[in-house]
Amino acid sequence: MDNKNNNKYFEILELTSDASLSEIKYAYLHLKKLYSSQSPVLSPLIDEIPKEKRDELLKQIEEAYKKLTRDYLSEKTEKEARTRYRVVHKSIPEFEVFSGNALKLMREVLGVDLEEISLATGIPLEHLKNIEREKFDLLPPKGYLRIYIMKYAEYISLDPKRVVEDYMKAVNKKKGKPSPHRF
Amino acid sequence: MENENDRQSEIWAVGGGKGGTGKTFVICQLATCLASKGKRVILIDTDLGAANVHTFFGIKKREKSITNFFEGKQDLENLIIKTKIKNLAIIPGKNDTTSFSTIKHTQKLKLLRQIKGLTADYILLDLGGGTNLDIIDIFLLADRLILVTIPEITAVENLYQFIKSAFFRKLKSLFADCGLKDTAKDIWHNKQEHGINTIVDLLDYLKKISGDKRDFLSKGLSDFYFNIILNKVRNIREVQEGFSVKSICVKYIGVNARYAGYIEYDNQFWKNLSLIQSSPMFIVSHTTKNDVVKIADNIINGGQLKIDSIKNV
Repeated sequence: MDNKNNNKYFEILELTSDASLSEIKYAYLHLKKLYSSQSPVLSPLIDEIPKEKRDELLKQIEEAYKKLTRDYLSEKTEKEARTRYRVVHKSIPEFEVFSGNALKLMREVLGVDLEEISLATGIPLEHLKNIEREKFDLLPPKGYLRIYIMKYAEYISLDPKRVVEDYMKAVNKKKGKPSPHRF
Repeated sequence: MENENDRQSEIWAVGGGKGGTGKTFVICQLATCLASKGKRVILIDTDLGAANVHTFFGIKKREKSITNFFEGKQDLENLIIKTKIKNLAIIPGKNDTTSFSTIKHTQKLKLLRQIKGLTADYILLDLGGGTNLDIIDIFLLADRLILVTIPEITAVENLYQFIKSAFFRKLKSLFADCGLKDTAKDIWHNKQEHGINTIVDLLDYLKKISGDKRDFLSKGLSDFYFNIILNKVRNIREVQEGFSVKSICVKYIGVNARYAGYIEYDNQFWKNLSLIQSSPMFIVSHTTKNDVVKIADNIINGGQLKIDSIKNV
């Protein structure tokens, strides 16, 4: 991790630089809630702080979280690459087609859970589950779906364009078929 | 000289602005906890108007109290009373009309000097409520600054007041030490010109203009932080308020703070308190003791509660 730059981000999230990913997540959620709401704890000082300052704080918190989770993940991926990647190659030959299952496998190899991706990308957890399970009927409209899949793929270090292409093909194939209830 | 410093005791002070937040309860707990670790502890009740440290240790008659010191009759070290707890002694207060406002400056200096001169591993100071400068001066004397509050808006409001007063007092002496006193004053008076709204802005500004003094300022503030304890907590949402209060100190007031921990509200303790004859410290529940041990460890090590640890409460 690039510690010099990251120290600033840890400071914004009020963490020490040895904080775990889970701490980063909880700190982010807590601070975001605190400064975007009318928290009673904030009220005694609210007159002294202009709204712009709070907006600026929220912006910093958002930036710090994005930066730290990204770096955390890339560092983790590197580590995985050194220690577990060979195993991965044995157990997962290669992703010829990026299906929902492929995403799930890759995610599990990286040791990332869906809650974390949901937190980091803002994609509702339910959608992530349905993407993995390929429950096409329950997925959001294609415009959203494309963005979700790209964000998800990017988060687990896959090529977003390729993943989207493959996944949307499968979606179109299935949705292209007439729905059974029309008969 | 250095050896002498090594042997010096560490001073902890508990403040927090509002009365009724359990400052005395918490510091008595911390004292008991440190003593049980085998450390020699002296707990001084400097809450002159409303002393009750002795009650927590089941001491009813006080032949001597800190008032003897203020009357100029006794040195502090002659006023120490043993408690039933091993390694733990107290200097009780007395409920009389003495208050810090009636105490002369020279007496205060003498008090501070004698506190530092006591032989112990830890010297704990219980302070009265309120934010007057005398209380704050004694508070700032400590090596570990502890704030006790409860999850109630009035208490939190007073806490901010106390933190601000203590922080400003600290800054003032720090500015004086590095010759920035007049500069800081000038800038603060014309703050609109410089686009300064808060003390955070002022510090940033000073750090920019005072090249060589910047390090001195940063260094002086890097070790300066408050340990926040949330007392009488009833649920997870209230536990989380500790993180909120800490964050507001850091981001709005501009002072470092750590959330040392919380103590769950123990209904039974307060029910039993009126019934028992001996030291109330003996009826403290296991949960409370555990909470206090965690807090004491955090204060000793400069640590704090981890934000992802509370989901398992």
